[in-house]
Amino acid sequence: MFEQAISAMASVVVDPYLLGLIFATTILGVIIGVLPGLGATTGAALLLPFTLTMDPVHAIAVLATIYVSATFAGSITAILINTPGTSAAAATTFDGYPLAQKGEAGRALGIAVISSTVGGIFSVLILCFAAPLLARVAYEFRSPEYFALTVFGLSMLASISAGGAVKNLIGGIFGVWLSTIGAERVTGIERFMFGNYELYEGLHFVPIFIGLFAISELLVQSKTVDKIIKTVSMKAVKLPTLEDYKKIWKTILRSCGIGTFIGVLPAEGATVASMIGYSEARRWSKNKKEFGKGSIEGIAGAEAANNAATGGAMVPTMVLGIPGSGTTAIILVGLMVHGLRPGVYLFTEQVEKVYQIFGSMFVANVMFMLMGLYAAKLFARVSLVPTQILWPIVFALSVIGAYAFQGQLLDVWLALIFGVIGFFARRHGFSVAPIAVGLILGEMVETNLQHSLKMFDGAWWMILTQPLALMFLVFAFLGLCGPMIFSWITKQKD
Amino acid sequence: MKNIYLVPLILSIFSLAVIAIALQLDTSPEMIVGDSMQARSFPIFLMILKLILIGILSFQFYKNNPKPVALEKYHTWGSMFLFLLFYLLTVYTDMFIGIFVVIFLMSILWGERRIWVAFLTATITPGLVFLLFDYVLKIRFPRGILMNLYYG
Repeated sequence: MFEQAISAMASVVVDPYLLGLIFATTILGVIIGVLPGLGATTGAALLLPFTLTMDPVHAIAVLATIYVSATFAGSITAILINTPGTSAAAATTFDGYPLAQKGEAGRALGIAVISSTVGGIFSVLILCFAAPLLARVAYEFRSPEYFALTVFGLSMLASISAGGAVKNLIGGIFGVWLSTIGAERVTGIERFMFGNYELYEGLHFVPIFIGLFAISELLVQSKTVDKIIKTVSMKAVKLPTLEDYKKIWKTILRSCGIGTFIGVLPAEGATVASMIGYSEARRWSKNKKEFGKGSIEGIAGAEAANNAATGGAMVPTMVLGIPGSGTTAIILVGLMVHGLRPGVYLFTEQVEKVYQIFGSMFVANVMFMLMGLYAAKLFARVSLVPTQILWPIVFALSVIGAYAFQGQLLDVWLALIFGVIGFFARRHGFSVAPIAVGLILGEMVETNLQHSLKMFDGAWWMILTQPLALMFLVFAFLGLCGPMIFSWITKQKD
Repeated sequence: MKNIYLVPLILSIFSLAVIAIALQLDTSPEMIVGDSMQARSFPIFLMILKLILIGILSFQFYKNNPKPVALEKYHTWGSMFLFLLFYLLTVYTDMFIGIFVVIFLMSILWGERRIWVAFLTATITPGLVFLLFDYVLKIRFPRGILMNLYYG
């Protein structure tokens, strides 16, 4: 197994086509990352239709490369123009931009590049070791365990980045409900189709995701057309000095652990990881006063954590079929579309493909480091592409991408409708990621509940007698009510 | 009623409508469903859960009194109108005519003052995307005025 994994990972380096694809996608990912509003999730949603004709490994490598490179690239604009290219880079603005204003933009970018690369590579290594181990545990899972696990995944939506807990849960439930549209899997009874037989097999994820992430973002960006961007000048990216390394190595290591752990948690992602990475860097720092004024520990803490979350988020996605973030939700759809069924099967029958994907992520991390070091200045200029040119292009890519998936115009209308729904949801403080995650987990939760009920002759409470299922349900309960109970106990003590 | 309660109200109406529609769904014979659940049960359960959460959300609004959301500028509403225009043009003329018109008008609406830039964006983008999907990905586009000319 170990030998097979190593040779599969190494095969990436000797495959010129795959290497070229990763190189081109890294450039695209960095461009997507530096364009404000067009983050990893939107980029992956737009690119998914382009991967349809590719070999499964190449297709997932493209999506994973977009994920890691766009997550890093968000920091370039965060540092140079105080506008995070992706939400995961929001914490980088706290210290990156102040440091750039002091005339040290090159140093800030150098720290961001190194921290992101270390974080990314660390998490890929953890992914390589943790994913097969988790797959072995998951081998024991039956319907009650999977049902409880998906409930746990849905409960984690409460703490997803934007929006409040209640709003996120409402979004998640809406997403689960969307998964019930179409013919019911056991009885074949048509639900909420209103005579439209193109919906018989349910709503397809691709057009919905294009709508929720790309079209809704277009409408959000229409509010910022008058925004004037102030840029900070930079000569070249500077690698951290020995002094800098001495100051940040502990922060990077800590954030690697935090980011990977947060990424592994279902429905959590790089944004949460970077915020926690940043706040922990501040908490443990000897120079707390520097934070917010250009602390290199702040930049390292946020950047190492958000890229570490990328590998972490791939663990539940590939092993359990539960996405760790909005972008991994799209990667999960990519896996399904290309016939790679996430779960134990993937790690027993298609090990080689799995490790080729991991190897691609590893290579992508090295490639974005080189691009970050040598071409960040060039990429930063891309962020100055006028909104009135960029977003109409995104519109064209969105509608054609939605159409290309199945060759149905209905998918284009669905993308537009869900774009408008997503926009109004965001307008009122609801995040669209819970809707996407709910849509993916919906089928799993209903099917496994049905199977569990059949297993226990309708006695639903028997699910609680299964130790692993009980453990996940307790976690779900703690995830939902833990903060409230904790604050109540603290109040009582005070 | 305050504007802030409009969202919970719309969500509640939606949930109740889903429950009402779900109650009209067919039921399957006992021998098929067995000890499992009817097709309508799961959506109804979800909507009840959602109604409870909407109740909590309304209570949070009552307690925190959030600011009402400001109305968007004409760019946003105009863009949504362009989606509608795209639908009409695609259905009655051709998808690529729809894309061209929407890109051109959206550029102008969002503040592009150089007509030739908007025109070039509207022409080159769908052209390149068409070539990519048609030649590389082998995808056939829906028939319309332009596609009839192309496919024959």
